[in-house]
Amino acid sequence: MKKKFNTEFSLLTFCFIPLLFFWNPSFITLMGVQPHWAMFWLFPWSSLYGSFYGFLTGLSLGIVLDSLNYDMYTQIPGLVICGFLFGKLDKYKSNELNRFQYGLICAIGSLFCNVLYFCQYILHQLAQNNIVLLSHGIKNTVAQVFITALLAPVICNWLFYLFKKNNFLGPPNF
Amino acid sequence: MIVNRRISSTRWWNKRNLWLLILFLSFISFVRISKGSLYKDFYYFISRPFWPGQFQREILKDSTYKELNIKVSQLDKDNKRLRKLLDLQRAPDNSAINAAVISRQTSTWWKQVLLNKGKKDGVEIGDSVIGPGGLVGIIENTSFLTSSVKLLTSSQSKVGVWNQRSNIHGLLVGLGNNSPRLIFYSKGLDVKEGDFIFSSPASTLLPPNIPIGIIESIDDESQITLVAGVQLLAKPEAIDWVQVLKIEG
Repeated sequence: MKKKFNTEFSLLTFCFIPLLFFWNPSFITLMGVQPHWAMFWLFPWSSLYGSFYGFLTGLSLGIVLDSLNYDMYTQIPGLVICGFLFGKLDKYKSNELNRFQYGLICAIGSLFCNVLYFCQYILHQLAQNNIVLLSHGIKNTVAQVFITALLAPVICNWLFYLFKKNNFLGPPNF
Repeated sequence: MIVNRRISSTRWWNKRNLWLLILFLSFISFVRISKGSLYKDFYYFISRPFWPGQFQREILKDSTYKELNIKVSQLDKDNKRLRKLLDLQRAPDNSAINAAVISRQTSTWWKQVLLNKGKKDGVEIGDSVIGPGGLVGIIENTSFLTSSVKLLTSSQSKVGVWNQRSNIHGLLVGLGNNSPRLIFYSKGLDVKEGDFIFSSPASTLLPPNIPIGIIESIDDESQITLVAGVQLLAKPEAIDWVQVLKIEG
């Protein structure tokens, strides 16, 4: 039972991401914006399991997170592309990355996801000439990139440690 | 015997990882179809010990007092007006449902809050949510134990309102920031900074005459419309308790 739990541990941690999204702790926010929780999980998982599984989990995360809010915009493209690209990092020996590089990678991922989300907003609101939304979107993006970069070295390092310790036996064989 | 074992081990239904993948995909599909109800209900249970206390409402005492003053003056005027009319089709039900805010997204892309009352308590999609100060938003989605509120500040929010002083109807549109925009579809109207905005008696979405906000700026540059910036009376980022108003059909 313990072995089975350890093997599926990394996948089980997936379920906590939406709960963190709901919790939205005010003491881990910057200008009221919470970090990109999905990025903290997606980066270690994808770089350990590779591009294909990064792509799949990015898609799954996007579907789940889209279900939790009523917006007509989607987070799927950003997360899918990030999952795929993070998976490519295993070729460049993700073990050799240091903690500060974790922060940089997560910040770039967060920026990419936010820009894609923001583009959907802009395209939809273009007709309304909504300048206020533009400043609000830039504030959201910048704040989330900073807070994600700040927390990534700690959280990603911890997740890398947990995933490797508990279950990393190579890519799953379906 | 050995051959049989080999064949058996290569059958797709004997591969545990494939079943795990199917199970995982089924879970994702279930979450998608149920619009995250499972997560919301689970969050309801684990966040229960941390729900806000009754005393936190005292922080918003000032805005409640202001709301009551405005409401009394508005009810008085409305009463006189109603005497001249035959009837109002929609009126707020007396049975408001008190609910605590258990999750809030007020400063990010998503302008929504999660309440600890859902279908079980009779909350339905489209019900109005009021907090200390006035209208907060409209119920967008419900699960068995929780409900999501689309805030007036959301860029998806559009509600019918009216200017109490000059009886002019307009449309309050969320911009994604804390000050929604009020659009009047004609020029040269009697609208001033400091006017109070209430939910429109003509609206089919909201109960009439719920305080919403104060006009803080007027933009007269448009050729066709009159646009005003509105400061909301209710502050979703500080509210811990709200009331869900049922609408009589």
